[in-house]
Amino acid sequence: MKQQDHDRHSAVHPNRRTVLKGAASAAALGTSGALGTFSELALAQANLRAQITQIPGVGKGAPTDSDWQKVGELCLGPTKASIKEGEFKGVELSFMGLNNQNLHNLLFRGFLKPWEAYTGAKISWIDLAQADYNPRLQQAIATGTVDFDILEMGAPFEGDVCGKGLASEMPDWVKKQIDIDDYVDYLKPPVGTWNGKTYRVTIDGDCHNFNYRTDVFSDPALAKAWKDAGNAGEWGVPKTWQQVQAVTKFLKGKKIKNQNVFGYLDAPKPWGGFGFYFLGSRASAYAKHPDDKAWLFDIDTMKPRINNPAWVRAIQDVIDALPFEPADQLNADPNTTGFQQFLAGIGSMIPWWGDIGQVAKASDTSVIGDIVGFDILPGSDDVYNSKTGKWDKLASGPNHAPNCAYLGWGVYVMARVNADEKKHKAAWSAAAHLGGKDLSLWMVMYPSGFQAHRTSHFQYDEWVAAGYDKKYITSYLNSQLGSYNHPNRAVEPRIPGIFQYYSIAEDELTKIFAGKVDAQTGANNIAASWEKLTDQIGRERQIGLYKASLGV
Amino acid sequence: MQLISMQNSVPDSNDLHHQPVTKRAPGSRKAAGRALVLLASLGFLLVLLTQVLRTTGTIAAGFPDWRPILIAYLVWTVAFGVGQVLTRGERGKRALFLLPAVFFTVAVVIFPTIFGIYIASLDWNLSSIEGPRFSGLDNLRGMLNDTYYWNALGNMVFYTVAVLGEYAIAFGLALLLSAEIRARRIFRVVFLLPMMLSPVAVSWMIGKSLLEYRFGPAATLARYLGWDNPAFFASPTMARFSIQAMDAWVSIPFIMIILLAGLQAMPKEVQEAAKVDGANGWQSFWHVTFPIMLPVSITVLIIRIIFKLKLADIVINVTAGGPGGATDTVSSFIYRVYRDRSNVGYGTALAMVYLLLIIVLLTLMLRLSRRWTQNVA
Repeated sequence: MKQQDHDRHSAVHPNRRTVLKGAASAAALGTSGALGTFSELALAQANLRAQITQIPGVGKGAPTDSDWQKVGELCLGPTKASIKEGEFKGVELSFMGLNNQNLHNLLFRGFLKPWEAYTGAKISWIDLAQADYNPRLQQAIATGTVDFDILEMGAPFEGDVCGKGLASEMPDWVKKQIDIDDYVDYLKPPVGTWNGKTYRVTIDGDCHNFNYRTDVFSDPALAKAWKDAGNAGEWGVPKTWQQVQAVTKFLKGKKIKNQNVFGYLDAPKPWGGFGFYFLGSRASAYAKHPDDKAWLFDIDTMKPRINNPAWVRAIQDVIDALPFEPADQLNADPNTTGFQQFLAGIGSMIPWWGDIGQVAKASDTSVIGDIVGFDILPGSDDVYNSKTGKWDKLASGPNHAPNCAYLGWGVYVMARVNADEKKHKAAWSAAAHLGGKDLSLWMVMYPSGFQAHRTSHFQYDEWVAAGYDKKYITSYLNSQLGSYNHPNRAVEPRIPGIFQYYSIAEDELTKIFAGKVDAQTGANNIAASWEKLTDQIGRERQIGLYKASLGV
Repeated sequence: MQLISMQNSVPDSNDLHHQPVTKRAPGSRKAAGRALVLLASLGFLLVLLTQVLRTTGTIAAGFPDWRPILIAYLVWTVAFGVGQVLTRGERGKRALFLLPAVFFTVAVVIFPTIFGIYIASLDWNLSSIEGPRFSGLDNLRGMLNDTYYWNALGNMVFYTVAVLGEYAIAFGLALLLSAEIRARRIFRVVFLLPMMLSPVAVSWMIGKSLLEYRFGPAATLARYLGWDNPAFFASPTMARFSIQAMDAWVSIPFIMIILLAGLQAMPKEVQEAAKVDGANGWQSFWHVTFPIMLPVSITVLIIRIIFKLKLADIVINVTAGGPGGATDTVSSFIYRVYRDRSNVGYGTALAMVYLLLIIVLLTLMLRLSRRWTQNVA
């Protein structure tokens, strides 16, 4: 099993002690004059980071537009170093992005307002709901009507956009300004690149981590009831999907603080393709074998694996768990499970992106506050080996395979600005401002829709200084770092039309969960539809891109 | 009286309005008109052909987009109008009243429909790097094996039949509001309010708030009344009825207001005569009111069915077609095929077939209703 590897790996990353040691050494160097101006710059940057992360301060209410503007203003340093005041006067840029949860573009507006005031450029905004994003982008690409200069986009679409020459290659000065080498390893090339060229300013790192209620799993009454019911092992946070199933069944009808308590929350309702990630999180430990990079398709043929025993087992788990979840769970999409259920105190386990940890602690909309713990996704006692067609029990223990779903959002500049040098520079400057090292720290600390994605984001003391509880934030960041660096992580395929595959699967899954077809039949139907889609898009090309996305 | 004198007056030979159309255009003007139309048509066809050849990659010349073709069409319509006046004189001038509407209809209805049929014959996925490919009838063959499409069509039968229930309720309300009851004007306004709401707003206000399982007032009331798990969208049957109920809530006022207008236009004497003849309330309704209201009823039912066949917004917002396709409509399925899967060719083919089905269904309904109303009369 790879848990030990993961723990060992985490240990070499910065913690409070190593950071303080480093700071003391740096200070010693500074006073000795060995570093001179460099130490002053480093100190200034440290001060800036401490200053912005106090706006408004974790636990002091949800940030507002004025907070975003303040942060944007304070982080203008790198822009001022490379751009003269008013240099982009007369330049008009169009920015297309999301407005999920009133975040994303709404924050960008605030961050870029001081940038606009300083540079003289003007930005107009195209705001899209998550579900509208994919079709709007696909239509713009297919019909050659790209009407935006800057685009907020996820890595899964890089095949569609960069592969068709629609994006502008990142200039070297931007790479330097955003300190591109600071990205965590799994977000380094090939992610963000196409044919060796870099296109993306990363502003997000994505993985599904396991969010659980600490009060439920430390409750003595539940622990006693668990023992009394004759369950094996101690009452505690499940580490495998087998345990998740057992706990979910056990919790049905139990109460904590006079409230009904539920176990795992599935998200069976379609969510524009994004809901498929949640089945993926249940399936990765079964389907992603440590000896095989692929888990969704056979690597040489694009033959779907969705109907193999591993995926069917994950589907069956959902079918088995649904009767033990809230009565209307069949009509719950991931937005419901995350924001209307888990954060509102219903259910005790969900997989989600990092938003849950940010919102639970730093937003007024959360009811549960800090009684949340985090971990990498549960493992499985056995893992399916697609090459042998057998279930393997690993000598190292349960198989873990964190689902690196979506690979995070990035900011891309479109190729249409290339013809105009001033516009090109302005667009990249705006993108670099949004993806700046210090600004990104604020974004991953507060509700923004983005989660940690730089090595420098894992300096835990910065989070504690901002107001996060040490134990809480250690658990939160470790779950992410553990997923990013896990040697058996399941990586999103960056192939064109990937959301079409997911959307087709969602439709069939809803039939399965409603009891219209059994798990194997439904999975076979999905596989057949995926085969058709691969042929329609172009099998040979898809095979090549799938291999590239897995680094094969 | 002046009125009488006007009625009795003989048409004045100088009154242009009463003159028969005798003015013909002279030969030279006719020739000029024909030449203008011919030239404009040739010009338009040349521009169109050039652009088609450029798009197919046959030639390099042409325009970067299709906007010039639209301008050429507009120029051609103007030239055609002028040509009509030149060649047909007064008759041509009269044609000018109709031509703009014809050209507009051609541009926004007939051409898109024909172009839609062409798109429906393509294998066109927006993610495919090869772009659109002609696939003949493949999309139609695919449709025949598409269980989702047939499932959605089956659901449409349920939703369409449910219109009869909406009609019955609306008729009851219309009778109530046409009766001499207190505050009936207020009731009329109140009953109309749901119709004024956007279906998307209804989806959120009712489907996602009022009927919400955890905190929705309707769910709380249902629990109070003894329903342990008031989940309105969790089982296929319940979900289908809940969607139908929401759509009915929005639409019943529309049916009601048309029926109310019909009831108010009905001659009072007929009702009074029925009373004199000793008919009770039910007999009066069934033998007098209902038959008289039949033409209005048929009209409103047909309009309502047309709207019902387009049902999508509430379904997309509340259940996304689930659970298990139980609430899916043809429109919401096409929406997913087109929007979530970028499958333009297949989505258009489904829409075209559905359009055809609606036309056939409504033609049949109109014929049957005509025969039925004649029989009743």
